[in-house]
Amino acid sequence: MRFEYLLLMAACLAVTLPLEFWLRARVYRRPLRLLLAIVPALVVFYVWDAVAIARGHWTYSPAHTTGWLLPGAVPVEEVVFFIVIPICGLLTYEGVGTVLHRRAVRKPAEEGPSPLLPGPPKRKGTVPFHSGADQKGTVPFRSGEGR
Amino acid sequence: MPEYTLYTLVAVVVVVAIELLWARTGIFATAQYWIALGIVFFFQVLVDGWLTRLVDPIVLYSPQHFLGVRFPFDIPIEDFGFGFALVTLVIVCWQVAGRRERRA
Repeated sequence: MRFEYLLLMAACLAVTLPLEFWLRARVYRRPLRLLLAIVPALVVFYVWDAVAIARGHWTYSPAHTTGWLLPGAVPVEEVVFFIVIPICGLLTYEGVGTVLHRRAVRKPAEEGPSPLLPGPPKRKGTVPFHSGADQKGTVPFRSGEGR
Repeated sequence: MPEYTLYTLVAVVVVVAIELLWARTGIFATAQYWIALGIVFFFQVLVDGWLTRLVDPIVLYSPQHFLGVRFPFDIPIEDFGFGFALVTLVIVCWQVAGRRERRA
């Protein structure tokens, strides 16, 4: 099936999509930041792929790929891979971040400010649990993040 | 050393160096990063296992260019270094881009 590789990538996007909403990953909703995050890796790994293909490190099954090639004989599926997998990784990373934030917010008195997370400034004392009400449901810790 | 193995090692070292010497996002000291990486590796086993299976594979590896160790399923172990470098570089750049966004 010529579209097998592409369908596998579509499945990856479908499986991780709920993280954007369910765990408020906010990856797709920060398109400029997403672009800045994936372009450097896309360029580096595209070159790596082209070199590996030229030197015979790996080949692609004509039965499972479209055969559409980009410069350097890189299959279009590989570029899709270098976009999809980073998106899945970021959704996972931000989803985990949300879960850790929720835990930190839920038990502030016992655990104090969470040492688990990078970025946002640490606040002294407890985090008022209900203070998210006036922020349309966002977790207080994340309020400093770009949106 | 086989070329794919060498390239993978270089990629891992370069990405770690980018984080530690230039970006300094601090992700290596966070549970958020390591838990996410664990989850990513779990799903990599499924997706990469599908791509690299030896029966009717999608991607075919030339035996002389990697160590020849395939685990788990039929995944060349170098692929995990490849995946680490890809996902880590993206998360580092995501953090750097976020830093810029916050500053703006």
